[in-house]
Amino acid sequence: MIEIIPLQIMTDQYNQYFIITEDVRKAVAASKIRNGMVTVLTKHTTTGITVNESLECLQSDIDVFLSRLIPEDAPYSHCHMLPDYGSTGGNPTGHLKAMLTGNHCHFPLIDGKMTGGSAQDIWFCEFDGPSVRTVNIIIEGTE
Amino acid sequence: MVIDIHVHPAFFDPINEDGEKEQLRHDELNLHKNGTAPLKHFFNKMNCAGIDYACLLAQDYSSAMNGEVLVSNEEVRLLCDMAPDRFIGFASVDPHDPEAADKLEKAFTVLDLKGLKLHPSRQNFHPSDPLMNDIYDICEKYDRPVIFHAGLSFEPHALTKNCHPLDFEELAEKRRNLRICLAHFGWPWCRETAMLMLKYPNVYTDTGALYFDSAREFYTQMLTKDVPATWIDRSLRHQVMFGTNDPRFEMIRMSKAIEELGFRQSTIDLIKGKNAVEFMHYDPERSA
Repeated sequence: MIEIIPLQIMTDQYNQYFIITEDVRKAVAASKIRNGMVTVLTKHTTTGITVNESLECLQSDIDVFLSRLIPEDAPYSHCHMLPDYGSTGGNPTGHLKAMLTGNHCHFPLIDGKMTGGSAQDIWFCEFDGPSVRTVNIIIEGTE
Repeated sequence: MVIDIHVHPAFFDPINEDGEKEQLRHDELNLHKNGTAPLKHFFNKMNCAGIDYACLLAQDYSSAMNGEVLVSNEEVRLLCDMAPDRFIGFASVDPHDPEAADKLEKAFTVLDLKGLKLHPSRQNFHPSDPLMNDIYDICEKYDRPVIFHAGLSFEPHALTKNCHPLDFEELAEKRRNLRICLAHFGWPWCRETAMLMLKYPNVYTDTGALYFDSAREFYTQMLTKDVPATWIDRSLRHQVMFGTNDPRFEMIRMSKAIEELGFRQSTIDLIKGKNAVEFMHYDPERSA
């Protein structure tokens, strides 16, 4: 069986990072599924899901590294009017940063608990905020 | 104090409880896939862009839409009442509405809206048409400015040729006491807009244009090349207002980009807020 639990996050910065491990654990605890897999999947293309240690210094390093790799003032193709939207698409940096972090992660679910390394936390990364975002927590397996 | 003179609130949550109305707004504004936004989200965006106040523009094209008003004066008032410390309201009336003058007078007196927004192409009128006299008289009577759409419009049923900046010269010349803004710098006729501002001190413009490239690239082209930066920094610095045309364009990146064009800081301060206060004859911080 499968359960999908949406997690809504309102971001208030252009680039921003959230540790959502506890939100995922709570969703797992409320689920009937005891054994299987947990997938955390963002619904957006300018946000990321990644797994790393929850440290302020690492967050700073990740942010600085991504910004150095993908600077705001480089010439990008994805800066133009998008006819399907009727508005300007000017968020290439968000798309590219999201590509580097990826958009999902998986953890095994054993006896009702999400199992992972002690330093592993789940990060939600905003790369084109502020916005209202949705992350799906997908629990698959057996009772 | 930073003021965004040009914001369309059509997709703010509090005025979009009706799904059919929301869809109508998507269709009639040619804005899609943007959903609706809680006010909290919009304030977050304003904060990231360093914007203190946003001027919310009503949109009344009712004579061409079977009486349906896209964003009414009352809805703008409602939004302003929900956040009087962040919003300034502008009215709209359809010039072909026989009750336009009465509605505008109500918008200024009862609803306390601070100016008028008109779209000659979409509303099918010429700025110098005698039809407009009562409307302009009311604006002058209550000392309220008019923002006109000028130049390219991405809305449907809005031919660009009907929003050429030169179409406003007669009005600017005849009514020197009426302050008018030719929005979007009249793009692509930016030099014509600059010419009118040079000749007529009652003509203003806003920076709500981002039709190609990134905000930094487009502003560099429009505000330093099409119109040389020195023209703005030396001659037009009191008539250019910061506007984003949100949600069509990019509030945060436009706000940052305009500060990186080489204008004097005092010019940036004028563009980003002081000129709007002069244009409106209204200072939101003094009225608070």
